[in-house]
Amino acid sequence: MGLDFVGRGVGETDGNIITTSIEKVVNWGRKNSLWPMPFGTACCAIEMMATLASKYDLSRFGSEAIRFSPRQSDLLIVSGRISIKMMPVLKRIYDQMPDPKWVISMGACASCGGVFDTYTLIQGVDQFLPVDVYIPGCPPRPEDLIDAVMQVQQKITSGASPKGVEAVV
Amino acid sequence: MNEEKEVEEQSKPLVLEKLEEHHADALLAQDEMRGTVVVVVRKEQAYAVLEYLKTDAELAYTFLVDVTAVDNSQMESELMQFDYARFMVVYQLYSYQGQCRLRVKVPVHESDLSIPSVTALWKGANWLERETYDMFGINFEGHPDLRRILMPDDFEGHPLRKDYPLRGRGERERFNFDKQNV
Repeated sequence: MGLDFVGRGVGETDGNIITTSIEKVVNWGRKNSLWPMPFGTACCAIEMMATLASKYDLSRFGSEAIRFSPRQSDLLIVSGRISIKMMPVLKRIYDQMPDPKWVISMGACASCGGVFDTYTLIQGVDQFLPVDVYIPGCPPRPEDLIDAVMQVQQKITSGASPKGVEAVV
Repeated sequence: MNEEKEVEEQSKPLVLEKLEEHHADALLAQDEMRGTVVVVVRKEQAYAVLEYLKTDAELAYTFLVDVTAVDNSQMESELMQFDYARFMVVYQLYSYQGQCRLRVKVPVHESDLSIPSVTALWKGANWLERETYDMFGINFEGHPDLRRILMPDDFEGHPLRKDYPLRGRGERERFNFDKQNV
């Protein structure tokens, strides 16, 4: 499932050996075990919880292992408003995550400030974080978050680097 | 007719009667808003009145629900009522005993932004007064720890004042990223 076999030794080895590239195997593993770090600061976090619960069940996509330590996660889900006081905290959490790491900006507030065009609210976390996938909506439905996780999975399968790595290179 | 008169007599709240009796010189105005009694009190006697409201056995407003302020600088009709005091500090009280609410308002002039802290009466006033200081710049004298509570420590200005621009003065772009303001 999802593993692109480069060659198959049918006949010669009775189908017990497959050949592929190491990147593809590693990416296959990464894609199916994305461990999210939830950064829920507002109502989007409620939808994120619904996505993880039994009805929508994000574990079907291998992402049910929510880690509340950034050091054990590789997918940051920013779901909610980020104020100027919160942004240094969020940046510090992102910095603590091991590479490779991906970022989902969930909902209107995280992506552009939403309706809160005020003195204290960050107008889009992508000013300070490399965001891989944006989700529109206020708040987005769980299906939207699932779609975003699947888009991250597609990026990983295609061998694309996370935005954060691209920025460094 | 008789019945109506009875209702009228009952509708005079106990708290107003008692305040008129004990603190008549402190009362600037009294009103009723959707069933809640509102009194406006002179700043000099504000602490004494609040202490009386809390400690009086019959009134017993033991619960301080909220402390906040209102910037009336663009409300001419409000300003002229109380000698052009720009701010109005508002205390929301609740009495479990009488099961009734009371709103105490205190006019504060911009020339003297200090008002006695009520943290000695209600410990819960600590963070409420810090928020009012943070948002309006009211100085609560005698407060044990009057720091900002919502905005970063190095923030300048008081954002709920009416002359503060909604989109700020560029803080969104120029905030201090490295400082551990947490």
